[in-house]
Amino acid sequence: MSRRSRAAVARSAGRDRTLTTLLGLVLVAASVLALLVGYGVFGAYRATRPLIDPIAVSWVSTHVSATRWILIGVGVLLFLVGLWWLLRTLRPEPRPDVSLSELPGERLTVEHAAICDAVRHDAEAIDGVSRARVRLVGTPQKPALRIALTLVEGTDVRDVWADLDGRVLARAREAFAVSALPTAVRLELDATSAPTPARVE
Amino acid sequence: MRLLLRVLAPLIALLLAVAGLALVVETVTAWVAPSSSPLVVPWPAWRTAIEGLTWQSGSVRAVAIVVGVVGLFLLITGLVSRRHDVYLADPVPEVTVTTSPRSLARAVGHEVRSHDDVVSASVVASSSKITVKAATLDPAEEVRAALRDRVTEMLVRLPLARRPRVAVSVTTTKGVK
Repeated sequence: MSRRSRAAVARSAGRDRTLTTLLGLVLVAASVLALLVGYGVFGAYRATRPLIDPIAVSWVSTHVSATRWILIGVGVLLFLVGLWWLLRTLRPEPRPDVSLSELPGERLTVEHAAICDAVRHDAEAIDGVSRARVRLVGTPQKPALRIALTLVEGTDVRDVWADLDGRVLARAREAFAVSALPTAVRLELDATSAPTPARVE
Repeated sequence: MRLLLRVLAPLIALLLAVAGLALVVETVTAWVAPSSSPLVVPWPAWRTAIEGLTWQSGSVRAVAIVVGVVGLFLLITGLVSRRHDVYLADPVPEVTVTTSPRSLARAVGHEVRSHDDVVSASVVASSSKITVKAATLDPAEEVRAALRDRVTEMLVRLPLARRPRVAVSVTTTKGVK
């Protein structure tokens, strides 16, 4: 298992999780702080001070320009972070075409669909595989394969592996002219005994 | 939980972007054209509403508690929505093989139900533990041992990266054999 083959298992939700967790932490911290102030943990006098604190108000009225720039800065930051996050999370996972040669004059790229169809045909020819779904993930320079295999009941996984590596992946590696092609295989064990047709041909 | 995160994340992102934009727009409006402020967000009204409140006020505490609960919800959503893939041993370097807990449970379920004495069975699987509950018409203890052997033998055939613990419980139900 390499880092790249492991990354190809599924689209990462790491960014969403990190940002959601961070936002949750910030909200919890703000809430706890407000409650502590209200219950007089930081002094009984502080708890009875108004929410719109006169000290803060006087600072704002003496530093009008600084306040403006701080507010604008915070607003721009929030806007950019929100927009960037929104675009990244809504963007579909890219399906890269593979570039085999970058030399000027003999640039050669292979389309995503062509590769996937070829690998899928090979994979579905394996004994015990009733259905295969294949896609590429990653970048055109560093692609990785993601294969989902549906296995017929009673299939020995080791036999499937041997065929997969010996025939399917070997051909793919040969086609890409690489010695190793990061691959993530997802197995559906014992699905059905009858092969189900692929939803999209 | 991952579905929830998938739905929540764009919404929160949109909310952040809108809040940031509103902040910038209102600040600039109040600065450049004070007469037309507030433009969209009625912030002076909000200000008069919270004018008389102190940190001790009930409404401040209520809002703080609501914010805390929302924050806790986001925190938990972010923390628990990891993937639950079951990893298989790698056949070759550069290849990662996984299966889903559901698929593993289905495979174990087929194996358990193929035992003649089992009337019904339910299986829950994760990468660390497989729980089998079966019902039989025969003495439970014998069937339990047999089932445990079957599942263990099946796991030997299935090259999982990490061998899960197997817990089998069998109950005897009444009925005619």
